[in-house]
Amino acid sequence: MTTLLEVKELYKSYKTKGYWYHKKTIDVLKPLSFCIEAYKTLAIIGETGSGKSTLAKLLVGAEMPSGGRIFLNGQTLKNSNFKQKCQHIRIIFQDSSTTLNPSLTILQLLDEPLKLNTELSEKERIELIRITLQKVGLLGDHMNFYPHMFSGGQKQRISLARAIILKPQVIILDEALASLDPSLRAQMINLLLDLQEQMGLAYILISHNLGIVRHFSDELLVLSQGSVVERGKTNDVINNPKHKVTRKLIMTQGLRLHKK
Amino acid sequence: MNLLDIRNLTIELKTTNQNILAVDRVSLSMKEGEVRGLVGESGSGKSLIAQAIIGVLDDKWHVHADRFHWRGVDLLRLSFEERKALLSKDIAMIFQEPMACLDPTTTIGEQLSEAISSKQLSGFFWQKQKQRTSAIIKLLHKVGIKKHTECIKSYPHQLTEALCQRVMIAIALARRPILLIADEPTAAMESVNQGQIFRLLSSLNQLKNMSILLISHDLENITHWANTITVMYSGQFVEAGTTEQISKKPLHPYTKALVDSSPKSNLQLPPKSRLTTLPGSIPILQHLPIGCRLGPRCPRAQQACVKAPNVTSFHGHKVSCHFPMKEIR
Repeated sequence: MTTLLEVKELYKSYKTKGYWYHKKTIDVLKPLSFCIEAYKTLAIIGETGSGKSTLAKLLVGAEMPSGGRIFLNGQTLKNSNFKQKCQHIRIIFQDSSTTLNPSLTILQLLDEPLKLNTELSEKERIELIRITLQKVGLLGDHMNFYPHMFSGGQKQRISLARAIILKPQVIILDEALASLDPSLRAQMINLLLDLQEQMGLAYILISHNLGIVRHFSDELLVLSQGSVVERGKTNDVINNPKHKVTRKLIMTQGLRLHKK
Repeated sequence: MNLLDIRNLTIELKTTNQNILAVDRVSLSMKEGEVRGLVGESGSGKSLIAQAIIGVLDDKWHVHADRFHWRGVDLLRLSFEERKALLSKDIAMIFQEPMACLDPTTTIGEQLSEAISSKQLSGFFWQKQKQRTSAIIKLLHKVGIKKHTECIKSYPHQLTEALCQRVMIAIALARRPILLIADEPTAAMESVNQGQIFRLLSSLNQLKNMSILLISHDLENITHWANTITVMYSGQFVEAGTTEQISKKPLHPYTKALVDSSPKSNLQLPPKSRLTTLPGSIPILQHLPIGCRLGPRCPRAQQACVKAPNVTSFHGHKVSCHFPMKEIR
């Protein structure tokens, strides 16, 4: 299978302000490279401040990388080309209740990316929204509701609908499953897996719940203080962790290590 | 004697249109030195029970119970002042977001010194201040903060979330409580910090023989730390038993679904397979189903489920279901 998204030597550093001899650069993310294939999931784990979320922001274009290149299907994604980026790489955030604009109906919410990125007529847009809502397990009539009328799990589904409506190739789940209740979380995982099979999506899963990571992902990347300390197939890494950061993360989750 | 003995607790919200039963006949008992987990998804009324125990619910809520005993004293019969005097000594509570619960305008040291009652100090007034400071430092050491001088001087925003939670626990410990109610103490915290806080709580439980009521939405996390677990769903009692019973042989379909839905507990599950889960979502308080509230989502629901089931007990393993999963065992 061909690589879908390839990241080469991507890094991010901030410069602190000050006099010229006091200037410091802080490396939030040291140069890192990885690639993902379609139908696959890459999980990224690490402690706070390890640069997980920065990586997600760099990929969707919410922040400018200090260097490095991103290739999608072999073509370079330019940093300034937001239109291309947001069509192919979408993100779902942790807290679904604050990422949806409370003053807009679901129809308006989902219409916005379509208006900005596609040439569809109004009728086609509404039809597409109806189909997308049904795909994530909601009803088409839900489009006239406001976000506060939905429960937490349903809001997360709307975030997912907003992510898949442009038919992207990569979806980044930035702790998207953390704030959900366990039974709804299982529903959401099932839904995400179904969509992956149907649409050939690649996921980048950022999570600290190793149970989900183990179940959901094919490959694993462990970040610590901005650099990759361990990578490989999820099962290999979890069953046989080499670096002490990985060991610590697995230990604290109480995940029993047993070999098959 | 049970430390806390609650039988058929009902918490009702009176509105103009209808009376909403937010908590419907829940029983809960705690022995001395026990860590009890109270598990439920959002809207299950677990925080309401905690608030009812320490009596901070306002007048909108009506609390009834067949029995509401704290070490043999019926709390519902006491006046507000008597109750406050009794409970402030014996019960302490820590909350979900420690950053938000601490006063942002005063230093940690001042907030801690407020919590230390003057009855614990002796001697003349010039000696008291010294004792107070040493008591603060002792408390901070107890919760595992070694750099006490920096911590006392700093404001809540200067500390990390986990440190703030430790300070909250220190404040809770100041009056040497018998029962500590921890309402989701590690929500929105990282796994490394989560482990630290839980380890601190369990060491306090073992060293000081302090009982802990651990409230959480995450069953898989609770099973590592609690001795006994009570499961609730949407304001109704579901199941109670030892951790072993709940996680190995759940009798209620809801508990079974909770245990099965976590990918961590069943490691033999092949990756990327579908997880078993209940259909539908948690009902909102305005539209609660009658009878067993799990009814519309339950795979084993039958006609009898329109009536709320009674609690049956199998060797101390209590379950509230018409059709418990006993025969499957």
